[in-house]
Amino acid sequence: MENNKGLNRRRFLESTALASIGLLGASVAISGCKKANNAKILGLPPILKAAPKGKKLRAGLVGVGNRGTGAALNFISSGPDLHIVALADVFQDKVDAGRERFAKLKMEIPAENCFSGFDAYKKLMALPDVDVVILATPPQFRPEHLKEAVLQNKHVFMEKPVAVDPVGIRSIIASGKKAEAIGLNIVTGTQRRHQEDYIETYKQVANGAIGKLVSARAFWNQNHVWFRTREEGWDDMTYMVRNWNNFCWLCGDHILDTHIHNIDVINWFVGRPPVSAVGYGGRARRITGDQYDFFSVDFDYGDGFFSHSMCREIDNCANNTGEFIMGTEGYTNCVNTIWNLDGSVKWKFEYPKDENGNETSSLKIPAYVQEHMHLVHSIRTGEYVNEAETTANSTLTAIMGRTSAYTGKKVTWEEIFKSDMDLGPEKIEFGSVDMQFEVPVPGTAHKA
Amino acid sequence: MKIWNSVRSLFSGKRAFVVVISIGLIIGMVFMFAGSKAVHYTSTDEYCFSCHVHPHAEQSWKLSPHYDNKSGVIVHCVECHLPPEGHGMLYAKAKHGAKDVYGYLFKDSADYKWAAKRKLEMAKKYTYVESCVRCHKNLFPKTLTVAGENAHLNYLTSKEDVSCLNCHLNVGHFDPNAKHEHDANFGVNITQNTQIYAEATPVTSFANFTEKVPGTGLTFDMVAIPAGQFIMGSSKKEPFHKPDESPMHPVKVSRFFMAKIEVSWDEYLEFFKATSSQGRKEAEVNKDVDAISGPTPPWGAPDQGWGKGSRPAITMTWKAANTYCQWLSKVTGKKYRLPTEAEWEYAARGGTKTPYFFAGSPKDYTSEGFFKKIFGADTTTINSYVAYKANSMSQTVEPASVKANAFGLKNMLGNVYEFCSDYYSPTAYAAYKKGAVNPKGPKRGKEHVIRGGSFKSDARDVRSAARDFTKTTEWLVTDPQMPKSVWWYSDCVDIGFRVVCEVDENVK
Repeated sequence: MENNKGLNRRRFLESTALASIGLLGASVAISGCKKANNAKILGLPPILKAAPKGKKLRAGLVGVGNRGTGAALNFISSGPDLHIVALADVFQDKVDAGRERFAKLKMEIPAENCFSGFDAYKKLMALPDVDVVILATPPQFRPEHLKEAVLQNKHVFMEKPVAVDPVGIRSIIASGKKAEAIGLNIVTGTQRRHQEDYIETYKQVANGAIGKLVSARAFWNQNHVWFRTREEGWDDMTYMVRNWNNFCWLCGDHILDTHIHNIDVINWFVGRPPVSAVGYGGRARRITGDQYDFFSVDFDYGDGFFSHSMCREIDNCANNTGEFIMGTEGYTNCVNTIWNLDGSVKWKFEYPKDENGNETSSLKIPAYVQEHMHLVHSIRTGEYVNEAETTANSTLTAIMGRTSAYTGKKVTWEEIFKSDMDLGPEKIEFGSVDMQFEVPVPGTAHKA
Repeated sequence: MKIWNSVRSLFSGKRAFVVVISIGLIIGMVFMFAGSKAVHYTSTDEYCFSCHVHPHAEQSWKLSPHYDNKSGVIVHCVECHLPPEGHGMLYAKAKHGAKDVYGYLFKDSADYKWAAKRKLEMAKKYTYVESCVRCHKNLFPKTLTVAGENAHLNYLTSKEDVSCLNCHLNVGHFDPNAKHEHDANFGVNITQNTQIYAEATPVTSFANFTEKVPGTGLTFDMVAIPAGQFIMGSSKKEPFHKPDESPMHPVKVSRFFMAKIEVSWDEYLEFFKATSSQGRKEAEVNKDVDAISGPTPPWGAPDQGWGKGSRPAITMTWKAANTYCQWLSKVTGKKYRLPTEAEWEYAARGGTKTPYFFAGSPKDYTSEGFFKKIFGADTTTINSYVAYKANSMSQTVEPASVKANAFGLKNMLGNVYEFCSDYYSPTAYAAYKKGAVNPKGPKRGKEHVIRGGSFKSDARDVRSAARDFTKTTEWLVTDPQMPKSVWWYSDCVDIGFRVVCEVDENVK
């Protein structure tokens, strides 16, 4: 008996020792491979086929322009039982046109839910039946609108950029935090963050596919964009708001308006906003408004990481949009491909195939819709989302670059975050506007 | 006897171990229980008020929003005046308790300066941010004002510790006269300086003053350096002594004013803006004695991208530094110039005879030599006074990052070399007459004395007595111009200067 016991014990010890050696071996083998972080750990949004079923959601659209109407349609198409029930715009003709468009799609919006004027947003947000607001006005108005939305307990989808100056940015961040405290979801229109190919590439990079990130480039170079010629009977304010894309106080210049997408991707992949910017820019071709038509900015992210950012709106030049990130073990275009240092392809995102079995070059669900699915998903499942601060930080990154270009000075994050720069007029109302629209010239004049 | 035996048997053999442990446990439990009771007992409002009978305590507390509010939540003394558990509560309790007991036994409450005790600095010592945050978890309630949003964002993002009390000073104890002071600096563009000075600061007495540069918004601090005698140079015994630092000799120096910090980029750029010329010709042809022709534009970025502001201006030539002094004299109506070597060393020593104006031996601080490279050195002291190779990260530092010497001068040693007015000679000291008064160095020469070492220097070269000199040819090797610039050194990034101001005879 005693012997048996001893033997058993010895055997037991042997077998456990063997097992533990085995386990050890297995764990060595596992740790030999890189442990991949999953989407949740990386804070990535869900990729959905459609927003889940749930309670009826009624949205009000603030800013019934082309993008606003588009965003509203994206919202409706993102899942079941989603409705547009109210419209607000500065101009009555925009509201009317919008109503007509929705009516054609068999969505009647009652007249008492349609508002115009600079306070239209307030009236819309006061409607108790509105659960979600879509903010798609020129970015100058966004901080005020978000503030009111949070005050009135509405979930929010808002377009990028989220403000045009640091005062607005701080307001957005604070409103975002107020929303978080009471559980209101906020999704912003930086759609690359909701785009499956970008997300899959991000996962690869976050899990070490290109090694340590070394440097980045970001571009938004395109032809000139739209402008409105002043019509008879338009006062200053009417003209500027209708032509908002050409005035810095309304749109923040094109480094905010368009290039923010690329800047946002670099911030996202690097995981932090830059600490300072040195940039320049100028105006060579534009004829309306007060903006530059090119920018070139060197963003310093600290720890030796820099990103060169450029954007241009001039016809017949070399054009491209996108992002590139260089790493110690490869590089990526951030959207679908990772290359080895020698230029060979290391990884490629697989796009869905068409009926003939050929790979397409785009996703089945556009990112514009995917972001609304995310919002609806969050409202209906309780999986909270709030992108206000991230997008505010990316907008502020662009503002830092713009300020550096306008002044010729190096601008730090600290300075711009605390800056009292406020581009808007004291009072926003129709009529003549007493504002100077000189195109900024950096530095000081040369001497003869 | 029987009892004794049975007790003894408890402590013998295997049992003893168990019994000792059990007794220990029981004592421990009793102690813990009593301790916890004591902590509890001494943490009640009543207990606090048994000593703190002054009206600022109980009465003002009961009027404050921490007592008198609609929610009915009462915040008790210890909830603010002790950190929460897990944040050093017992330690703080012991510390404050000891202080209270001492005050109770040895002090008279009439002697306390109550008004001073209610100031922010004191309040911060006795109120814990952790305590505020423990209750106030939501810093962004819906009704928060814009000023509140800015202040709370500042609290969340600031690199320095921001105390809740900075803004919410009177929420625990009511003050009818208190104004709500939010963080006044937040949201204010600090670079904006719209006040343009019309006149320089008048100097009527021999005391520190802040110079205002007329026509600009610029000010800088000047320190009054009293007259005195000192021993210039170093003995052979001083570690890392070099031959040009001897012989040691007594020198008398008259009083003068010296700039607290090296000429900053802010200061130098005002001069540059006011006097610079686009091309070289203008600068050379201009014979108008009243006008000062200044530097041509530099080729590169003379600040090396390290930032301007209050960092020392660098890479200007001795001539440029000297011209700056002439310009400054002209705009202020005072006599500004570069310091003599004797003035510089006198000011740097601040009354000390040791290698540095602070404690420690160069042998301990140097990072050169075999053993030093292996073992390193305790450089805490030198690091707090000097920006040198070991702590500078290879660039100039802001003056705020070091402590001043006894005269109140910053960065005399380290940061950047400083031009002196004297020509350099390795045997200059031997040529001095005994008991020299305000010596000025050799009459002729090619290169000028520079002193103080720089951010590139080892500890051995930032001694008060260490000397060096300009190397004009070497510092212009890569200057692409022909002839080479007389205003900017293309190949020296660690030189700057400091101004002195002569004292007017009428000043007492």
